[in-house]
Amino acid sequence: MNPLIRTVAVCMWCLTAIPAFADLKVATSLSDLASVAEAVGGKHVSVVSLCRGYEDPHFVPAKPSLMKAIQDADVFVSVGLELDGGWLPLVLPGSRNPKIQAGAKGFVDASEGVNVLEKPTGTVSRAEGDVHPLGNPHYYLDPLNLKIVADHLAQVFSDLDPANASDYAAGAKNFDGKIDKSMVAWKKELKPYAGARIVTFHKNFNYFLERFDLKLFSTVEPKPGIPPNPRYLNETAESMQKAGVKVVLYQPYYDADAAKQLAQKAGGAAYEVPTEVNGVPEAKDVFAKFGFIVDTLSKALGGK
Amino acid sequence: MRSHFRSLLCVFLFLFSLGSFPVQAQTRSIISNLANPAIGFNALFKAQVAPDLDQPYGIEFEEAEISLISTVDPYWTLAANLVFAPDGVDPEEVYATSSSIPGIGLKVGKIRGSFGKHGLLHTHAFPFIQAPVIMANTIGEEGFKDAGIEAAWLTPLPWFCELTLGGYHAVGPDTDHPLDFGSSNHDNIPYLGHLKNLFDVDDNTTLELGGSFLGGYGADGLHHSAYGADLTLRNVPLRQSNQQGWILQSELLARDSWNNDGSFASHDAIGWYASLQYRWSQVWWTGIRVEEAFNSFSDVMVSKDPATGLPNLDSNGNAIPVAGHVQCLSANIAWAASEFSMIRLEYSGARETPDDESGTVWDNRIMAQMNFTIGFHPPHAY
Repeated sequence: MNPLIRTVAVCMWCLTAIPAFADLKVATSLSDLASVAEAVGGKHVSVVSLCRGYEDPHFVPAKPSLMKAIQDADVFVSVGLELDGGWLPLVLPGSRNPKIQAGAKGFVDASEGVNVLEKPTGTVSRAEGDVHPLGNPHYYLDPLNLKIVADHLAQVFSDLDPANASDYAAGAKNFDGKIDKSMVAWKKELKPYAGARIVTFHKNFNYFLERFDLKLFSTVEPKPGIPPNPRYLNETAESMQKAGVKVVLYQPYYDADAAKQLAQKAGGAAYEVPTEVNGVPEAKDVFAKFGFIVDTLSKALGGK
Repeated sequence: MRSHFRSLLCVFLFLFSLGSFPVQAQTRSIISNLANPAIGFNALFKAQVAPDLDQPYGIEFEEAEISLISTVDPYWTLAANLVFAPDGVDPEEVYATSSSIPGIGLKVGKIRGSFGKHGLLHTHAFPFIQAPVIMANTIGEEGFKDAGIEAAWLTPLPWFCELTLGGYHAVGPDTDHPLDFGSSNHDNIPYLGHLKNLFDVDDNTTLELGGSFLGGYGADGLHHSAYGADLTLRNVPLRQSNQQGWILQSELLARDSWNNDGSFASHDAIGWYASLQYRWSQVWWTGIRVEEAFNSFSDVMVSKDPATGLPNLDSNGNAIPVAGHVQCLSANIAWAASEFSMIRLEYSGARETPDDESGTVWDNRIMAQMNFTIGFHPPHAY
């Protein structure tokens, strides 16, 4: 064989032949789902999340490199409820991977089994902004919902890789136990502020607020997906002042200036907290993420 | 009398039996609408001030598009884009896709051929109100649309490298595209090849390089071809994917003809464009584009009588277009209040020199376009 052809052939083989170290190659739309999948699958899975924690999950650019990243995946875990509906319909078929297309065994809708909040009961109108017709999709902000996801993933992993089913079941059980234990500490930390009202940028903290007995006062955006204008910010700041609401939460992917401006006008402060794992460097997994949110809120509401 | 009574009794019993059916039995349907396709509707309106064009000023209906998409069964998805324009209804795209073959995406039906970058866009997704002049002079203002089949192979190379091959039905030149693939010979199956490479330069920036080829035999017995090369550098900051970003894109397109013996017949048209789109905020976009096209037709270059300077007319009383050299600059600003509406203002100025040396003409336009979408709209390609 011509040495040049041989060299090129070897290089191509090295580049393309990625060995499968794990039993299951798992891809997820959100980093929280990746964190849960890692906890459940342990050494048997390799996991990649298409959306980084600091990206807006509504608007992930459907880069062809994302299609490439899931070309050989065995499982794809979608957050469901159309949160990834702006980009997944391009990325999934673009992967040319029949194993993970909607309806295939390897496709998981992680929202299955979750008690979905804010399901529209009547006609859905975009006069109310970019509403989600299937209900609020940010259920992964409730730690207990992640137990449902973990149990679901353990079942899917076991179906696809029966040889390690007991390990997946044990992984899910261990995860559920750790969530229960952490919940006790998180609840204790936020208990003094039960009933407190806060402002969030988007309606993405509603599951968290409900779980920890907090209330949503208002949002920085006037309607989902609609950026705030000065008049709206002034009116909201005025009503915050009257109600004594001083805490505004925003995410790394939102307009921090608008959140800070609102908080300043209301005489309060704005805090950057993640909604997803890796949204801030400290949020390495779902436990660290909730820990960060709870600590931040505890300090903010406590006036520290 | 007795028979009347019996008849009335029968009618009464019949009506009673109807009324005694459970209410649910009357209202429940055996036909379900739960599996209906997702439906979207887009409408485009345009206003134009163009002193160099013999057209009235004012707002006009540009087109409306109904899009339907649904899963057929575990193997196929069917999609349709039906366009309603002032000159009629066009089933612009009606196609089935399948992702059932590992590594291969299949598309069959009436499709928009995978040629270049701009040729893949629907009118409402054009970055500028007008398509580059070279588009209408090579593959078509809205791309090459024809019945056929395409297979797109996502190669196992470490970067995104996609090779698409397509075969289509013989089609002659029309108002949609100038390519003559109208030979009725059995060996005329217009064919396409498209190579797309995309590299992640960093987390926020991608570089895309593509090459396209389209060929087939015309009713005139010649082999007609179109070629394209495209380069796109795109930046979308991941932390502000809905607020900031820019797209630098350039494309070179050409069309030529070859004799049956393989000898070159003619250069039919060649041109290029380069554009920059910049996103200032969640709602504001702006863009600038420069372009040039040779041996190309436009709206203002027409054959003129050298003596009078008046247009020469065909048998229908229409001015006869002539090809020439077009240089054009376009700039626009767009306000997208939400994902579902956009209003933009655009200026374009073109300097055009007909090949018949009848003298340079100008085409200056100020346009406004309103773009509205309701219902489900599938996401646009990256």
